[in-house]
Amino acid sequence: MELGDVIYNKTEYVETASGNKVSRQTILSGSQNIILQGKVIVQSEAIIRGDLANVKTGRYCVISKEAVLRPPYKKFSKGVAFFPLSIGDHVFIGEKTLINAAQIGNYVHIGKNCIIVMVFNMRKDLENLEEFLKASSYDSINHLSPIKTLFLKYVMYWELCYMVYILVQGRRAILRDCCVIEDNTVLAPETVVPPFTRYGGSPGIQIGELPECQADLMIDYTRSYYQHFLPSKSA
Amino acid sequence: MSRNNIKIFSGALVCEGSKLRGDITVGSGTIIHPSATVIAEAGPIVIGENCLIEEQAKIIHRVPFDQQNKENIPILMIGVHNVFEVDCTVEASKIGNNNVFEPKCFVGSRVTVTNGCTIGAGCHITEEQILNENISICGAKCQMREGLDKPAPQNLQMETLLKMLPNYHYIKKPNMKQQV
Repeated sequence: MELGDVIYNKTEYVETASGNKVSRQTILSGSQNIILQGKVIVQSEAIIRGDLANVKTGRYCVISKEAVLRPPYKKFSKGVAFFPLSIGDHVFIGEKTLINAAQIGNYVHIGKNCIIVMVFNMRKDLENLEEFLKASSYDSINHLSPIKTLFLKYVMYWELCYMVYILVQGRRAILRDCCVIEDNTVLAPETVVPPFTRYGGSPGIQIGELPECQADLMIDYTRSYYQHFLPSKSA
Repeated sequence: MSRNNIKIFSGALVCEGSKLRGDITVGSGTIIHPSATVIAEAGPIVIGENCLIEEQAKIIHRVPFDQQNKENIPILMIGVHNVFEVDCTVEASKIGNNNVFEPKCFVGSRVTVTNGCTIGAGCHITEEQILNENISICGAKCQMREGLDKPAPQNLQMETLLKMLPNYHYIKKPNMKQQV
C-alpha cells in the first residue's frame, strides 16, 4: 500500500544534516538533551520535554501534531528523579498522544489520543518483597530443622531471583518491539505490552495479535511516510 | 476583556511559554509549565498555593451558556495542592484542595469539584453535579468510586521541578509579596 504525499510548507520545517524534519512550531524544551537519530519527523505543536531528562529517538520516527513526549519520574525517599525516555527505530506516534513511558521498542505504532503513563514502582516492589521475606517468612521457618531451613531458604532464594528477573524484565519491557496501540488507548502505569500484540481501550488491554511481518510493515510505513513528506514546490 | 491582570506571588514558578489571559492570581509554590493555558474569560481566577499545572492543561473560566449577562459571575477559586496533568481541560465552577486531574480529562462548567478528587485519564465529566470528597473517576465508562484517602500530594516532584525548570525556561517574575 502506497501512502499519499503529505505536502508541508517549506518555510515551516527545518531539515537537519541527518535528515530530521522538525517543525518550527514545536516546543522543544532543553533541546541539548534531545537526540533525534536521523530521518525523524516532528510535526507542529509537538512538545518534547528535554528539560526534565534526556529524550532519545531512533531512526525513522514520526512524532505527529500535538504529541507530548515527557520523561517519566520515579519517587525516591529523598526526592523525585526524572528518567530518560528512549524510543526505538521506526516508531509512529499519533496526534495528541501523551508518552510518559520509559522505553519504547522498535517498530511500534501508537495511535491518536493515547495516554501512556509509566510510573516506576518496580524497585519499591522489590524492597517490599525483601522486607516481606525478612520479616515474615524467615522468622516463621527458623523453628524448623536446619536442613529444612536451608532447603526453604534455597527455594526462596531462587524464587526471589526469579521474581527479580520478572520485575527487571518487566521494567525493561514496557512497550516491546512490534506492538500496536490503537487510538484513544489509556495504558495504565506498569502495563507491559508484549511483542506482536495489539492493545486498545481504557484501561488498555490486549485485543489482538499481530503477524510476524509487523516489523517489515512498520519499516515500510515509516520509510514511505518519510519519503512522502515533501516540501511544497512553490515556496 | 483583553486586559491582562496577572498577579504572581513570590515562590510561584510561572514559565514564560504559558498562556495566561485575564485576571489571574497565582499563589506561592504553584508551578505552571510552558504551554499551559489559564483563561479567565468570565471573571477572575485565583489559583491557590502549591498547585501543579502541566503543559497543554487548560483551565478556563467561562460564562455559562444559559447566562447571557456577565454580571454576578463569581471568582473561580482553585484550592491548594491541585495537580492538573498534561492536556486536561477544566472548566469547573469551583475547585477545592488536593484534586488530581489526570491527562486528557475534561471537566465541564457545571461541575463542582470538592476536595481530594481524582479525575482519571481521558474521563469526560459534563453533567451538572457536585463531586463528593475523595471520589475517583476512571475508565472508559467514567466509573465513580469513593477513595479511602485523598491522593498523595506531589511535593517531591514539585521540589525537583522548582530546581530544574529555571535552568531551561524563562520565568515570569513574581510581582506580589508573600501572602499574609
